[in-house]
Amino acid sequence: MKRNRGCNGLDHVLSRRGFTVGGMGAALALPSLAATAPNSDLRRGHKRILQIYLQGGVSQFESWDPKPGTLYGGPFRAIDTSVPGMQICELLPHTAQRMHHLSIVRSVNLKTNDHGVGRKIMERGRRQEGYPYIGAVGAKYFTPAGNPLPGYIHISTRGLTDDTDAFLGPRYAQLRLEGVKPPENITRLPTVSLGSFRRRNRFRLRLNQRAARRGQRASTDLYNGSFEQAQQLMSRRSLFEKEPPPRDLQRYGRHFFARNCIFARNLLEQGVTCVKVTHHGYDTHAENFNFHLEQLGEFDQPFATLLDDLHERGLLESTLVVVMSEFGRTPKINRMYGRDHWGASLSVALGGCGIKPGMVVGKTNDQGTEVADREVDGGHLFHTYFQALGLDTTRPHEKPGNPIPIGDPAMTSIDELLA
Amino acid sequence: MNAIDPKQIHQTAEFKHERPLTTCRIDPSGKYVFAGAEDLNIYRWDMATGKKTTLSGHESWVRGLDFSADGAWLLSAGWDGRVGWWPVSDSEPAAARMIEAHDGWVRSVRSRADGKLIATCGNDNLVKIWDATQGKTIWELSGHQRHVYAVDFHPDGRFLASSDLMGVVKVWDLETGKETRTLDASVMTGYDKKFAADMGGARDMRFSADGNLLACAGITDVRNAFGGIQGALVLLLDWQSGKPLRQLKDGDYQGVGWGVRFHPAGFIVAAAAHRGGGGVLWFFQPDNEKPFHTFPLKACGRGLDTSPDRKTLATAQADGYLRLYQMVAQT
Repeated sequence: MKRNRGCNGLDHVLSRRGFTVGGMGAALALPSLAATAPNSDLRRGHKRILQIYLQGGVSQFESWDPKPGTLYGGPFRAIDTSVPGMQICELLPHTAQRMHHLSIVRSVNLKTNDHGVGRKIMERGRRQEGYPYIGAVGAKYFTPAGNPLPGYIHISTRGLTDDTDAFLGPRYAQLRLEGVKPPENITRLPTVSLGSFRRRNRFRLRLNQRAARRGQRASTDLYNGSFEQAQQLMSRRSLFEKEPPPRDLQRYGRHFFARNCIFARNLLEQGVTCVKVTHHGYDTHAENFNFHLEQLGEFDQPFATLLDDLHERGLLESTLVVVMSEFGRTPKINRMYGRDHWGASLSVALGGCGIKPGMVVGKTNDQGTEVADREVDGGHLFHTYFQALGLDTTRPHEKPGNPIPIGDPAMTSIDELLA
Repeated sequence: MNAIDPKQIHQTAEFKHERPLTTCRIDPSGKYVFAGAEDLNIYRWDMATGKKTTLSGHESWVRGLDFSADGAWLLSAGWDGRVGWWPVSDSEPAAARMIEAHDGWVRSVRSRADGKLIATCGNDNLVKIWDATQGKTIWELSGHQRHVYAVDFHPDGRFLASSDLMGVVKVWDLETGKETRTLDASVMTGYDKKFAADMGGARDMRFSADGNLLACAGITDVRNAFGGIQGALVLLLDWQSGKPLRQLKDGDYQGVGWGVRFHPAGFIVAAAAHRGGGGVLWFFQPDNEKPFHTFPLKACGRGLDTSPDRKTLATAQADGYLRLYQMVAQT
């Protein structure tokens, strides 16, 4: 497989479809409600997904599949974990002590080195366009009726070209938040009276209805869906307004990713079905080792602490946890001490609901240049995530018309991972 | 006929290793050249015969090398957090001492001219001063907020400079173990907004023999750190004022400055790696920002040193070759 040394600039362009609450221009007046106690659905089996997305392509050598002392192994050492016989990279010392909660798949071959293609395969479990992302599928099938919060929240500081809901509809699309920041322009301005605000809102709805009658249904649905999700979220406005307790900041850290992990924990506790946290900065064509030191140094402690909290609060058994990227990085170290794009042999870590912990599935060869055993694709992983949560991915989506299987019929779940 | 003239530079030898090299030093006797590589060993070549010897003992790459003041010992800084002492001239050198020096990479090691002290720095944000003969810690200097990339002793022996990822250069008084002042090399670091990460730091740092100048090799003008799109730079700092004096660079040459030396003949030589491949040796006059001579390298230059007679330059290169050059007219 040829390496891909560069990044497509278009991949980093803000998406119009990937709705960002912070970009809304409307004014809504909503009551400020105190955060409620953890959702009682927890006890009724409300299953959740925590997806940590290491954007740009984390190096498998510097994370879940270290090869110290080998041709392409790089400078980092492998360390023991809480699972006897399982080693991961020394850049993850905190996570290493929580590996009894997680398993690793070391044999993912996506057969692409393209950011966008890799991301879609990992998110959709398919190579074709037009299928929903993990979070959207989770939001549709695991969000209890009447749940007062959006089903799929993505915490990210940058936009990516994501059409996350596909045919499921905008109600299940990601609601992207730029960190722990309340949606902008969502509250009624002091200069706008309540009566004026209501008239504006009625006018907006009439325009939407008119647009829908003219066949512009998809865009109005998206727009309305966006408003509904923002309104739902603002019923928990206190999620944004409170500084995390000092003890949380001490345990997680104070940087953006640490705060986003605390926020993710709170959202899951409040009843959001799917929370995706993107950590940027892994597309390390130059200085791969310095940047992985920095980025995984930032990732490790908050992620490990988040696992602790989910476990201690009884959420881990009902929450699927997945750490993924759109691909891995080349075995060969380039002249800039970088590693380039590599989809031929990467790793994914997962655990929680329905996943056997402490397992290593598949392996790469001694130099990490190719999968040596139990090759899987993003489609296998997609089946596995949802089978672990109890969803039969061989069945069709709840969609009128042509039946569309939830998972790619050409692939199956990784059954040895299923609890 | 044997006068040193950078414009006469030409390659005289090359020694091949199967992995890319990371750094190099010529020993004070001028007999050997040592190099680190993208593997767990240090390599020694006899510069006259090309005979190669492997020094094994580190558990990660080595990017920092220096010699004891008497030239008898090679000091190695490993990314396994350890510093090693190796007999320079033994037929099969084995580490006589290997100490756990830092938590995380040791990025630089330097020996003081009087032979009494050794300085190291690393990813635990610390600078450490060691007794050179016993390998015991004398000072543990804290104050840097980010990884510390390079250290060098001022020629007066009393002060030490240390430089970190953010271009913060701290000056330490070795009589008191206290930080005395901070120099500003922030032009050598940049925050990549797209990737939300910092990149920078001196990849090599040297005082001039008179102690009036401090040269830091690295980067500037970070545009896309993850793609290596930034300028290669040697920054000159004025020791008396503590201010940046001059940015030595060659236009918009994109890459990293990995090595720098003051030459007794009055010029400064630097080795750089271009992001697109290849590299250069630059020759600057200290009072001019542009090089008065540029010599192309066959591969990215990752380390640089001069021989005791100052006629020979050694470079560690990314294609695995250790190349030697003479700065005198070819005979």
